[in-house]
Amino acid sequence: MNPFGPTALTLENLTIGYRSPVVTDINLTVPPGVFVSLLGANGSGKTTLLRTISRRLKPLAGRITLFDQPLKTFKALDLAKTLSVVLTDKAEVPMLRVLEFVALGRHPHSDFLGRLTDKDLLAVEESLFAVKADKLANRFVDELSDGERQKVVLARALAQNPRITLLDEPTAHLDLKHRLEFLAILRNLCRQIGLTVIAAAHDVESAARFSDLVMTLKDGRLQDFGRPEEVLKPEAIRTLYDCPEANFDSALGGLEMTPDGRAGRAFVLGGQDSAALAYRLLAKQGYALATGFFLATDLDAHVARSLGAKVFSFKNADNPPLADLLAESLVELGQCDFLVIAGDMGGFSEGLTKLKAEAKKLNIPILSLGPNGELTPLIEGLALYRSSRAA
Amino acid sequence: MEAVFNARLVTQTLAKRRNLVFLGLGLLTLALMVTNLVVGSLPYPIERIFYTLLHPQESGDLATIVWKIRVPRTLAAALGGAYLAASGLLLQVYFRNPIVGPYILGISSGATLLVSIIMLTPFGFRLTHATPFVTTIAGCLGAYAVMALVVAIAAKVQRGATLLILGLMMGYLCSSVTSVLTALAEKEKIKGFVLWGMGSFSGFKQVEIGILIVFGGGLLIAVYLLSKPLNAFLLGEDYAASLGVNIRRFRIFILMAASALAGLVTSMAGPVAFIGLAVPHMARLSFGTSDNRILIPGVCLTGAAVTSLCDLIARMWLNPVELPISAITAFFGAPIVIGLLLKRGARFS
Repeated sequence: MNPFGPTALTLENLTIGYRSPVVTDINLTVPPGVFVSLLGANGSGKTTLLRTISRRLKPLAGRITLFDQPLKTFKALDLAKTLSVVLTDKAEVPMLRVLEFVALGRHPHSDFLGRLTDKDLLAVEESLFAVKADKLANRFVDELSDGERQKVVLARALAQNPRITLLDEPTAHLDLKHRLEFLAILRNLCRQIGLTVIAAAHDVESAARFSDLVMTLKDGRLQDFGRPEEVLKPEAIRTLYDCPEANFDSALGGLEMTPDGRAGRAFVLGGQDSAALAYRLLAKQGYALATGFFLATDLDAHVARSLGAKVFSFKNADNPPLADLLAESLVELGQCDFLVIAGDMGGFSEGLTKLKAEAKKLNIPILSLGPNGELTPLIEGLALYRSSRAA
Repeated sequence: MEAVFNARLVTQTLAKRRNLVFLGLGLLTLALMVTNLVVGSLPYPIERIFYTLLHPQESGDLATIVWKIRVPRTLAAALGGAYLAASGLLLQVYFRNPIVGPYILGISSGATLLVSIIMLTPFGFRLTHATPFVTTIAGCLGAYAVMALVVAIAAKVQRGATLLILGLMMGYLCSSVTSVLTALAEKEKIKGFVLWGMGSFSGFKQVEIGILIVFGGGLLIAVYLLSKPLNAFLLGEDYAASLGVNIRRFRIFILMAASALAGLVTSMAGPVAFIGLAVPHMARLSFGTSDNRILIPGVCLTGAAVTSLCDLIARMWLNPVELPISAITAFFGAPIVIGLLLKRGARFS
């Protein structure tokens, strides 16, 4: 036994690859019953790592231990009873009913001819119930939708009665509803039957929401391994995907793209959550953003920051330094192409008047949202502004 | 919440339906084989044929016809059909490709090449006098030489698709040599060779039937016993490996068994088109499953029935002229497969 408690998977000084190394010197320990997401850009070695852990590929160096037993000492059938896989392969088999398909997972447990005992059938039933696909039992696998089939493919993996399941981008073909449902099923399996799940993921947001741990692969190394709340910082995501525009907000769990500002620069007066949609609209059209005045904890502040905006906010609600912020904003306004009024500045009417007056003086157009926060006036205003500038 | 389904109940219902299909197919095969014994170019009364069958020690014209001609031919057609179908099934499972047949790896081209040397060159012509089995032996050598080559390569190659292309190329190589020999051959020899190339279950000798039963039967039993790992292959090599199957060893086994079965039939009957490709589809659709534990006996019965029927037509349609078996198998078989697939498509779309 491991002196530090039970472990599902231990990788020590592991180097993986085909002939030349893809990822070198991985060291980590996964406790049992957790959902681990494996993140990394295409070609970073996610699939190679999964293939190595499932023993389809020999490690180039280092050791792998599964449940305190060295991976290479497992007998083939014992490994199949311990570890199961869900591959990216669509697993399309013509003329096979879901029940028979899932029963293929009983391979390591059934007798020489593969006859199914009552115990096997029970395991098949339970697997189908666990993924909420029991109603599909009598259907043919090749007639299922992508979402249904993926659940059935998972049920087949569960029918092996594994202690750990490796999945390679299991939600890649699924729509939002099925993706969330699938990930929720995986998480429940971790909680309820103590299954350890390691899933290569392409989607940072769902990985952040559903997994207990994430490992990130970058430039042939294990970049990070830990809780998503700690690992998935904006900077880490930017490096991981070589994507400087990406802005990951760990509090919101959402990924936003910073606008390049090619279209121009907008000053948005926000507050009271009214401006979030206006920010996204402007950012998508390529406008860099500056915004104020609100509490740093306001939703608007989060969204604006994740869009790379310059934010004029304050931390102390009782005694906001309004005068200072106003002075800074007036300078900022001078750099902007137009002013958007998407909030009342928390009732700071003096500031509002001054900013408007400054805009008039600098000949900067003023756009605004509808009385109930509707975006249409802003969209129309933007179109007008653009055509006037083009002319 | 009450259980919505019961796996045991579903399995039992499916098994019941499949047993009925087995029963029906078995009766059909039997009926076709009996018809093949009874019907021939010389019309004898049925009761006399049955009498001869039940009294093998008697002699006479009828005994000769029944025991030397009809019995071997009936058995050859049924067994040949069964083996070719099983061979096709194995390769379709291994390559996970529905349009693969037993000849995809070049088995028939190898057999044809060696047979063309016997039938078309002066060198081979001299050999023909030495033993009546010379064509069979040549076919066998050709088929198994190609098989040995493919299996040797399969041990080194990682991907099934590569192997498929290698087999195809091997087939083209053999065919090109055969074409050269055909171009150089004397005119009158060519017809015999071309007809050999379209297959026939006539002229099987008792020894050959014996070999067919013993070796082919042994191979079929081995294949059936390995239907469990074969099922794991339904999902592809990666999944099979994750289920604990030694895929390297098993890949060699599948290729060897499939080639050996097809080579056995081809060396004796010549290449018989279509059976190995189409019968697995017919069996899958009539049994409604891809489970090899059901399909292996299933394709054997279907193959025996279909080939028996085709041989009956080949013999009797333009009687007394006998048609090559490949002409019949493809002519009647292709529309049946298309019909079955379209019907299935219509039912579910």
